[in-house]
Amino acid sequence: MRRIASFIACLVFLVLSGLSARAQDDEALRGAVAGFATAEGFQQIGAVIDALVVLGDPRATRVLAALGEGDLKVREADGGVFIVRGSAASVRLIDPVNGDTAGEAGGASLKKIRVNNRLRRTVRDAIGALTLTAADPAVRMRAAETLFANPDPDALEAVEAALERETNADVRRGMEVARAASLLLSDRSNAEKSEAVGAVAALGTREALGLLSQFRTGATGALELQAAAAMERIEGSLARWSIAQNFWYGLSLGSVLLLAAIGLAITFGVMGVINMAHGEMVMIGAYTTFAVQEVIRRSAPGLLDWSLPIALPLAFLAAALVGMLIERGVIRFLYGRPLETLLATWGVSLILQQAVRSIFGPSNREVSNPSWMSGAFELGQMMITWNRLYILLFAMAVFAVLLWAMNRTMLGLQMRAVTQNRRMASAMGIRAPWIDAMTFALGSGVAGIAGVALSQIDNVSPNLGQSYIIDSFLVVVFGGVGNLWGTLVGAMSLGVVNKLLEPYAGAVLGKILILVLIIFFIQKRPRGLFALRGRAVEA
Amino acid sequence: MIAARFLQGGLDRRIAVTLALILSVAIFVPVANLLFAPSHPLHVPNYAVALLGKYLNYALLALALDLVWGFCGILSLGHGAFFALGGYAMGMYLMRQIGSRGVYGHPELPDFMVFLNWKELPWYWHGFDQFWFAALMVVAVPGLLAFAFGWFAFRSRVTGVYLSIITQAMTYALMLAFFRNDMGFGGNNGLTDFKDILGVSVQADETRAALFAASAVTLALGVLITAAITGSHFGKLMIAVRDAEARTRFLGYRPERVKLFAFTVSAMMAGVAGALYVPQVGIINPGEFAPANSIELVVWTAVGGRGTIIGPIVGALVVNAGKSWFTGALPELWLFALGGLFVAVTLFMPKGIVGMISRHWPKRSRATDAKVRADAVREQNA
Amino acid sequence: MTTVSTDVTNSLLYLDGVSVSFDGFKAINNLSFVLNHGEMRAIIGPNGAGKTTMMDIVTGKTRPDAGDVIFDGSNDLTKHDEADIAMMGIGRKFQKPTVFESHTVEDNIALALSGPRGVLPMLFHNSSRTGEGRIREVLDVTRLAHLRGQMASSLSHGQKQWLEIGMLLAQNPMLLLVDEPVAGMTDAETEETARLLRDIAEGHSVVVIEHDMGFVRELDVRVTCLHEGSVLSDGTLEHVSSDPRVVEVYLGR
Repeated sequence: MRRIASFIACLVFLVLSGLSARAQDDEALRGAVAGFATAEGFQQIGAVIDALVVLGDPRATRVLAALGEGDLKVREADGGVFIVRGSAASVRLIDPVNGDTAGEAGGASLKKIRVNNRLRRTVRDAIGALTLTAADPAVRMRAAETLFANPDPDALEAVEAALERETNADVRRGMEVARAASLLLSDRSNAEKSEAVGAVAALGTREALGLLSQFRTGATGALELQAAAAMERIEGSLARWSIAQNFWYGLSLGSVLLLAAIGLAITFGVMGVINMAHGEMVMIGAYTTFAVQEVIRRSAPGLLDWSLPIALPLAFLAAALVGMLIERGVIRFLYGRPLETLLATWGVSLILQQAVRSIFGPSNREVSNPSWMSGAFELGQMMITWNRLYILLFAMAVFAVLLWAMNRTMLGLQMRAVTQNRRMASAMGIRAPWIDAMTFALGSGVAGIAGVALSQIDNVSPNLGQSYIIDSFLVVVFGGVGNLWGTLVGAMSLGVVNKLLEPYAGAVLGKILILVLIIFFIQKRPRGLFALRGRAVEA
Repeated sequence: MIAARFLQGGLDRRIAVTLALILSVAIFVPVANLLFAPSHPLHVPNYAVALLGKYLNYALLALALDLVWGFCGILSLGHGAFFALGGYAMGMYLMRQIGSRGVYGHPELPDFMVFLNWKELPWYWHGFDQFWFAALMVVAVPGLLAFAFGWFAFRSRVTGVYLSIITQAMTYALMLAFFRNDMGFGGNNGLTDFKDILGVSVQADETRAALFAASAVTLALGVLITAAITGSHFGKLMIAVRDAEARTRFLGYRPERVKLFAFTVSAMMAGVAGALYVPQVGIINPGEFAPANSIELVVWTAVGGRGTIIGPIVGALVVNAGKSWFTGALPELWLFALGGLFVAVTLFMPKGIVGMISRHWPKRSRATDAKVRADAVREQNA
Repeated sequence: MTTVSTDVTNSLLYLDGVSVSFDGFKAINNLSFVLNHGEMRAIIGPNGAGKTTMMDIVTGKTRPDAGDVIFDGSNDLTKHDEADIAMMGIGRKFQKPTVFESHTVEDNIALALSGPRGVLPMLFHNSSRTGEGRIREVLDVTRLAHLRGQMASSLSHGQKQWLEIGMLLAQNPMLLLVDEPVAGMTDAETEETARLLRDIAEGHSVVVIEHDMGFVRELDVRVTCLHEGSVLSDGTLEHVSSDPRVVEVYLGR
């Protein structure tokens, strides 16, 4: 009983939310509803319901639902029909046609239109029929979907009647599966049920699987076998889709790792500087995004959707500036002493974390998603969220730009020159210390950009950077130091392997397995996947 | 045996002084705590005993790190893991000693297992009701892990920063693992609510004093062992491996074995430090595996002066005393201070406190100068 | 092929058809090289000719992709690692002087002395004066006796080169591989080093890699010129330096 009630509530909600303010047949509907005021006895009330169905106006579902709930009442003074909310001495009156509040009244001045169980069923079928035959195909579609999600043998006739009139192919398909689903629970003939099993199975979704398993428990003989076979097929296909889904999650994780690690691929990979404060550059980028959004929220709320594009250059600059300060202030005194650099930059990272904690507070900061990054879409049986998709695309774009910058620009050329042979480069007039600072600023700036993207999917807190630093180093080391492509492949393969392992091992154990695998891998190939072999001098 | 031979050879004067100092502290603090009335000027309050005891464990841990980093050139960023493993081994013993006095009153299972509806003790918890077994595990588990890890890493010639990063990954992986409830080590909460150790209450003043004395004596032993190792012919080889690994290889040595030995011994020392730490602080949880802890420990050693035996002890005491003061007086400034310390030590004090003082001690200064210069050369080569 | 097999058995070091490549670059290309017992040989050649890589292969640092590397007639060096090869009797001096900077000169030599190499023997090794005679001998040969107690880090560049050679001697190898021993030395030091190497060559086989033609002339030994990973020319210094191909790629006109 409750299930059916909620089903109706769903339908009503769907229909009402789908209603636009068109007032074509207001009068006709109002006239038909007025019939409730004069109807005497259950039979006449039934006739009024039928009249409403014939009218075919989906707004009648509001009235019918209220009738089923016992909320439809007649004002005894003038015979006006209203939906009533509230049960106190004074109740709110709602216009049955447009749903507007139509004033208040004393509870005693209204007469309830009574219904019995038989009428309630009539009401329910009428609502189903009304929505299934609504003029708007979107409403009909949603009605069909709702029915599929809550299959109801009693709605079979309504849906079959609707199917006969249905012309829209999409809606037809929806109704057919809704009918099949309802039919499975009905007492129709085995032949029809067998057909319905086929129709439901063809969907291949998790819901179809649920329906079939529900059906299978009650089925016997050939039908049960058929259902079992269909379930097996669906399970197989779902398993493949779930692998695809995990693969997608893996790519998404990989893109996050790539974003976090790619700046490091420059500072560590190209310059050989171990920057343990790299994660804090990411954090600075994320907090820049937060600050930008705060300013926009206060002074120009209309620009909120543009907050990320605005934050990107600012985050780059902020992180690049901090990076350059670190390079000039600390790291340049430690070139050629990687272990000391590691310790000093760790110290810097502690200072940056505490600085952010002092300025912005220790708790998580809310960074909102712009509207164009919210939501998700389905691809087959996969769910893809827009923000993850954008982050993947963004990571690829950053990678491409960086690859171009390193290989095609003057700065990139000079950077590579300085790292390969510092003295020679200086002799050719390249200002090596300047290039060091610029390279480090570039790597840090890219980390800042990563922070903008990561602020969309992660908590913006002073610990944000810490959670990425180990992963980032592992990605760079795994991919091969000094090789941007290695970083890309490293990030993506670690992401995918991690997510493919997760269903079997669980999230934490999967992560541990990955760490252990990398530890073994580094021992096997200490210079990474794409390492350059060369004449080993006296290393 | 090493120590015996070493003692025959005579102790370095500084080591002897250090040992004497540690041992006198081992006697003085417990005595002053137990025998003098709280009003007496020489009375050491209970909280100070616990705090100082903790510092001594940290000092042993820093010394262990120094053995591999200062003397053998392996910067381990995962030594906190060995410390924590030793701590967990001791924690398991202490959990088993609770017996049926837990909240759920189960005669055998620790509370958290009852809470998780476990029916019986996991196999790896067996034996921990015996102190000798737990004590064995305190050194065996970190030792075995270090041996296995080092065997792979050093044989594959993973060195320098790469080694540092994978040791960090190791402790990180262990942290994640110990956070899991089904690992059977109490998950997030770790092991706590200890009652007895060797039949006496861990809370009793006498026990605390004894634990303090044990910490000091153990530290003294650690100093003795480290001095024996570094003073031997092998110790010279360790330094040679630190300064020019390839050279030792082409002289026919196997530096991977040298490192493996140092790493394993060091891990065992760290394990002992952890085991003494746990009954004094009353808890061990996965947070001890946090990579940040291991790095912080590196700075103790660096501040005191790596490559010396006294340095890490001084460093651990100074930094931790500073931490206690800061977190009490100016908590929000502690991370600034610690971070600044990392930067300042690497930039301005590469030899640490002991190295600075040694500058005014002509006999030693040449050696430390040479060491620092050698470090620079070695790292340029790396 | 009888000549080859006699070569193998009679020679101290025998390389045949050795090739190794790094990422497609052939560092050593079908190199063959034979060194006889007691011989001193100088190897010259332009940068990137494969001189150091050849040493890497002989000392077990780099595994060749193809070819035989036989030491003392029977030991296949491609099957052993650096430590094994060092213990067989091959000592190597690096291009850049590499000594234990924070040890004294004496300790540097003491660590190189032939003796136990395992962890436990080292731990319990009594450092009393077992090797005293050898240490003094080596220090005398390498002219470092007066610096015995000095830290190696305080030595001059040339002294470090000698100390490293001294460490090789202390190892008492059959064969010494010496990579650019006079790079960065003064003329006087260079002459001294040539004399030192000739002294050493009286009791050992030596391979010297060197760019300094004056120094090679002073050594007065057979010369092999490498180019692009294989032997370009071989013979007396006069023969090699008048070889037009050597002039072309290395010496210049």
